[in-house]
Order: sequence, then structure tokens, then C-alpha cells
Amino acid sequence: MIIESSDQVPRVTLFKRFPVPRNFKVAPESRIETGRTWSAPAGAMRTKAFEIYRYDPDSGGNPRLDTFHVDLDDCGPMVLDALFWIKSKVDSTLTFRRSCREGVCGSCAMNMDGTNWLACTRFISEMAAPATIYPLANMRIIKDLVPDLTHVFAQYAAIEPWLRSKTPGPEKERLQSPEERSQLDGYYECILCFCCTSGCPSHWWNGDRFLGPAVLLQAWRWLTDSRDDATGERLDELEDPFRLYRCHTILNCTRTCPKGLNPGKAIAEIKKAIVEREI
Amino acid sequence: MDRKPANLDSTPTQTRPLSPNIQIYRPQLTSVLSIANRISGLVLSLGAVGLVVWLTAAAAGPQTYRVVQSAIGSWAGRVVLFGCTFAFFLHLCGGIRHLVWDTVHGFELRSIYISGWAVVGASVALTVGAWVASLFIAGWH
Amino acid sequence: MERGRFRSPLARAIGLGSAKKGARHWFAERLTAVALVPLSLWFVASIIAHAGTDYAAFIGWLRAPLATSFMILLLIALFHHSALGLQVVIEDYVHSDAKFAAVIAVRLSCYGFAVAGIVATLRIAFGG
Repeated sequence: MIIESSDQVPRVTLFKRFPVPRNFKVAPESRIETGRTWSAPAGAMRTKAFEIYRYDPDSGGNPRLDTFHVDLDDCGPMVLDALFWIKSKVDSTLTFRRSCREGVCGSCAMNMDGTNWLACTRFISEMAAPATIYPLANMRIIKDLVPDLTHVFAQYAAIEPWLRSKTPGPEKERLQSPEERSQLDGYYECILCFCCTSGCPSHWWNGDRFLGPAVLLQAWRWLTDSRDDATGERLDELEDPFRLYRCHTILNCTRTCPKGLNPGKAIAEIKKAIVEREI
Repeated sequence: MDRKPANLDSTPTQTRPLSPNIQIYRPQLTSVLSIANRISGLVLSLGAVGLVVWLTAAAAGPQTYRVVQSAIGSWAGRVVLFGCTFAFFLHLCGGIRHLVWDTVHGFELRSIYISGWAVVGASVALTVGAWVASLFIAGWH
Repeated sequence: MERGRFRSPLARAIGLGSAKKGARHWFAERLTAVALVPLSLWFVASIIAHAGTDYAAFIGWLRAPLATSFMILLLIALFHHSALGLQVVIEDYVHSDAKFAAVIAVRLSCYGFAVAGIVATLRIAFGG
């Protein structure tokens, strides 16, 4: 009942989804149809069913939900291992992003059993039966589990995530005390997986203008960097009813961050900084 | 970015599908309490109009006041009033939780969950307490 | 979305630029909220304390100068908080041209109801 860290999987499930119609406000091209069920491997002692979102842009059809049966004795412990098993043993067209397989690159971010996380750090044993795998929520899908991250990366570029200095560069490095450097802890570690932004209901409804938790956390990272000279300008750019103030402290972001970071807190710090310069 | 790039063959451009969001995302204490705070706020906005109606009826005289009071005292009126009481305490406790967050305190997941359950428990307890107290005092009057 | 079809993703994200305001609205919502905590509790406690009493007792309670003042402050804080909150809700969910009309209609209604409530309170307090 009390979640202490974001990697805790809830033990009790009262509602798997909000009580809205399955195709609530879903455009015709996004409606998910029933997919095919792939046969279970012969002779497998322990299998687990995976329902996976599929979309083939070349077929011209709608997305669908395919069911696979994974042989757990032939497969590694993580959900990413299950995806690789399916790709190599059952359906080689299953498409997903992946790189480091250790939770540091952010490529394999996807929605598993209703929450966003990295497939390489989610244990199969923690998944429900059947396990459901969707792409990151509220993203345009290029193919299968691969979302189009162009817009969220554009929002990241819009906050100018680089050191903006007005003072001429020193002869050696720009000095920063350990205390000043510690201000960046909890913010510089973001791997830009966009689990948080994709799980934010405000970004679902206003993602075209609301920057979202990932970008705002990085905005705070630059605001709180003692070497940056453009704090005022950064706050001017952020103080906007949509860019910042669509955040209503829903806190899905902090709940879902696979690196244990706290975007909700970063956004609260931004709001506090803005008020502090007015009063 | 919403559209698949056009191929050189005859395949037309098509809009890329949007992955499901609220249709599949898991309700968690975070999102559920947030939408509950919003819904209770909407209910209280209607309740505020009701307050003005009640005050206007009282200002118009004892006859109009009696009409409004009997409507509130009816079975349906009491259900509505109970709902408004619960909405009030939920929005009050949730609002205080928000005010604490505005001071940048209580953002650790453990604190978020403990304060969240405290809001639920306090709202239920205060609603029941308020109704028990008013029924007791009404009986005493 | 045909208009702006070839705009760069960065231009789309920047949109019309930052409004450079929003803190006032945010702070006013918190200010009215802080005022509403004691005022609304006073109101609910008074209602409970007067449960089962008649019209004369209610009028007598509201005629007291402190009660009249608190009721007027409650109406002001309540409807301002409500107007700000409802504007945010409309901005969240309404994206068509109806948004502006809805925000104007809701905010004006809130202030209209606030005045109606204050007038009723004053009539009770100073009426015969």
C-alpha cells in the first residue's frame, strides 16, 4: 500500500485501468484490433503469456494485440529478454528499441502492465498473467513498440539545455563547490527515457504546449547549476500557463521514473523560484 | 512526425496511430487522488451556487427559507448534502496536501503515499464525524 | 494538421513563445485556498452547531457582525478560488475556439454569484 521506491511493483490491483470505454476518444487509425495468437512452444514446462501491441506501417492496417507464449526456462529474467526470445524464436518482425540492457540508456522504455518502465530492468516474475506490453503511452507509433520521440526531444531542445554564460570563460574550469555540485544530484542522472512524460495525464491532454516532467526536470537542472548565468531568462521562458503551469502535481512522473528521480519535486522548485522573484 | 513519410511507390501517407493512454494506464494513488481532488472541486463549485441559493432564500423571508430547507431535508437532498460534505473534506485535505507540496516538502514517494492515504482516511472520518455530530446536535435541539 | 505542416519540430514545440505570466494566477489560487481553510471550517462548524434550529436562530446567527463579515469573506474567497480552478479545468480539456467563451462565461458567472450571495447576506444582516 505504501510505495517507498519507484521500482516497487504493487501487490494489490483494484483497477487495471480507469473506467472509461475501451476506445474512449480514440481516433479510427489508433483503434486496436484483436491480433493473432502465436502457438506455445512445444515441450515447454513453464510458459507465460504476453499480450503485445503490434503495428505494421507497411500493411496499412490498424494496430493489434498479439499473444505470445514465452518459454521461461529458455529465456532470461527480464521483459527485454522475453522480447528478444519472441523475436528470435517466434516472430522476427517484432520491433523495439534497445541498447545497453542494464537500465542506463533509456531506449527500451515502454508500458508494461499499465505503467511505464524500462523493459531491461523489469523482471518477468513481477508481471501479471498475462503480461501486457504497450508502447509508451500517448505517442505516435512508428512500428510495434517504437514511439516517435521527435516532439518531446524538440521540447527538450526548446529549453536550451546547455550552459548559458554571460561572463567570459575562465582560464581553467568554471569553479563549483561540492555543495553547489550537489544541487545537480537527482537531476543530472536523467536518461531521457520519457517514461515520466508519457505517463503524465496533463501531457496527454496538452502535450503540444505543456513541456512535461522530463523536460522540466532538465530545465531545473540548468536553473540550479551555479555556473549558468541565464537563470532569469530561463524562468521567463518557463513562466507560461501551458509550458509549466499545466502541471497540477499529479505525480505519476515520480511514481514511474525507472531511475528513481523526482520530476514532481523539480517542477515544484521551479514554481517556487518563480514566486520568489515576485515577492 | 504524425505521418509516415511518403514512399516512392503508390502507398499513400497515413497518420501514425497514437498509443493508448488513459485506456490502458494503471490507476495509481497519485493519479486517482489528483482526479478526485478535481472532481470534488467541481462538485463544490456547484455547492457554492447552492449556498447562494440558500442565502437568497433566507433573505427573501421565512416562507422561501422553509421551502429550501424542506428540499435539503428530503431524502434526495440529504444524499446530495452528504456527497457535498465528503467532497468538501476530500478537497480540503487534498488542498492542504497541495499547499504542503508548494513549499517543496513531502515529495519522496514514501511521503506521497503516506499523505495520500492520510487524506483518504481523514476525509472519510471527518465526513462521518460531521454527520454524526449534526444528527446528535439536531436531536438535542 | 495541414497548417504549419512543414514547420520544424522545434518551432512547433516553441509555438507562440512563452506568455511570461502565470505566477499571479497560481499564487492567487493558493492565497484564496489559504483563506478558505479557516473560513470554510468556520462555516461547516456553524452549520453543524445550528443543526435542527429554526429560521429565527439562523437569522440571529448571521446578523452578528463577525458572522456577516466571515460570510462575505467566505463568498469572495470561495468564488474567486472556484473561478481560477474552473478556468484551469477548461484550459485542460477544451481546445477548440469554445475555450475563450467558456472561460469568460464561467468567470463572470462566478463573480455574479458571489455578488448575489453578498447581497443576500447584507439583506439578512441589515434587513428588518
